Amino acid sequence: MRDLFRFLFRQRNNLLFLALMGISMSLLIGGNMHQRAQAISSSNSVIGQIYTWRHDLTEFTDLRAVNQQLAQELAEERTRNHASTNDTGKVTLHVDSAREEAYKFITAQVINSTAHKERNYLTLDRGTLDGIHQDLGVVGMNGIVGVVRDASPHFALVTSILGNEIEYSVELSRTKHYGLLKWDTGDPATASMVDVAKYVQVHVGDPVVTRGGDHVFPAGFPVGTVIAVHDDPGSNFHSITLKLAEDLTRSGYVHIVFDLLGSERDSLQARSVQP
Amino acid sequence: MITTVRANVLRFILLVLLQALVIDHIDLAHGWIVPYIYVLFILLLPFDTPDWATLLLGFLVGMAMDMFTSTPGMHASACVVMAFARILMLRALVPREGYDPEKRPIIQHMGLAWFTTYAGVLILVHHLWLFFVEVYRFDDLFSTFLRALMSAIATFILCLLAQALLSRDIRTR
Repeated sequence: MRDLFRFLFRQRNNLLFLALMGISMSLLIGGNMHQRAQAISSSNSVIGQIYTWRHDLTEFTDLRAVNQQLAQELAEERTRNHASTNDTGKVTLHVDSAREEAYKFITAQVINSTAHKERNYLTLDRGTLDGIHQDLGVVGMNGIVGVVRDASPHFALVTSILGNEIEYSVELSRTKHYGLLKWDTGDPATASMVDVAKYVQVHVGDPVVTRGGDHVFPAGFPVGTVIAVHDDPGSNFHSITLKLAEDLTRSGYVHIVFDLLGSERDSLQARSVQP
Repeated sequence: MITTVRANVLRFILLVLLQALVIDHIDLAHGWIVPYIYVLFILLLPFDTPDWATLLLGFLVGMAMDMFTSTPGMHASACVVMAFARILMLRALVPREGYDPEKRPIIQHMGLAWFTTYAGVLILVHHLWLFFVEVYRFDDLFSTFLRALMSAIATFILCLLAQALLSRDIRTR
């Protein structure tokens, strides 16, 4: 027995090393999916507060860009409104109430973000008190941004599309063929679309939009445009490079998407699966 | 003793904040160079730090970093590996007369050659581990290796700059 203790004492540093390694590896492997990860992420309130201070300090440096974005979005929104009243003539536009209420958007400010790492995250200044929860979609002014990974009362952590954790279902809006959005280019301005069969004719400049129906993003929301199509003779699929619609290297405002009809769609799908 | 502890606590906080609030927001070469200056904390721990404390402090500084970058376990594991490597490195690089308790692991005390070997190897160990854990796959080994190597060089240069700027020994003499 005493030999055992002596052995343990002599090996205490190696044992400590193994223990600490064990803790960090278990966090690394299980932590991303687990709730306890919240304590070790920037949706933690202390870290969120520190990032808010930083944001308060640096916010004014991109006010000009944010203003421009907002003005442009307003102009686009006006055009869209104008077009829709023109379409229906003078008659009041009758929108199906179910359709109108399908999605709700909440504005949030990005208080911290990275775009140049292998996996990138954004911290937003909205949390569970605003109804934010896991797996909500986040969109920017021009295109999709990511998915909420975690939320605390005042902050939310978003997995950016610039990462290898999530693949998004997207489609070519011209041909309606769908594929997966993958970020394997390492460049914050571009991404790849995979699993599009070779017989599909893809042209440079084709817009790519979200496919919808996944609870996260509304269908037809902009993702990017095709800038290059490479065809590897050994594969049955195109490898398509997209220019992302949203500039993720810039912070500013984003919208969190609530899919109000998601649970209804879910229960329908669940019912039809059962015999 | 108290001054040493206080200096190291301060260094811990300042380096983690510097990393999380400043360095992490600088995009050098589209993600090809991502320096992690906070490892300087582990490099500058005093020579007489007990091994268990080195390991534990490495783990803590990594965890603090993980909180900021929302990557549970990633920096922590890299720092524990680095702390373990530091223990071995200090044993391998011990001068003939042992470590002078008056001296610290900085260039002004140990010389540029000693520091380059010591910091170079440890930074490389840390960065290789971190970058490979970060990509989580081995399909583009070479580019990950290159990223780690370039970032390690950037970190090393930052460490030299930090010492040149902050060392009191230079300013007083």
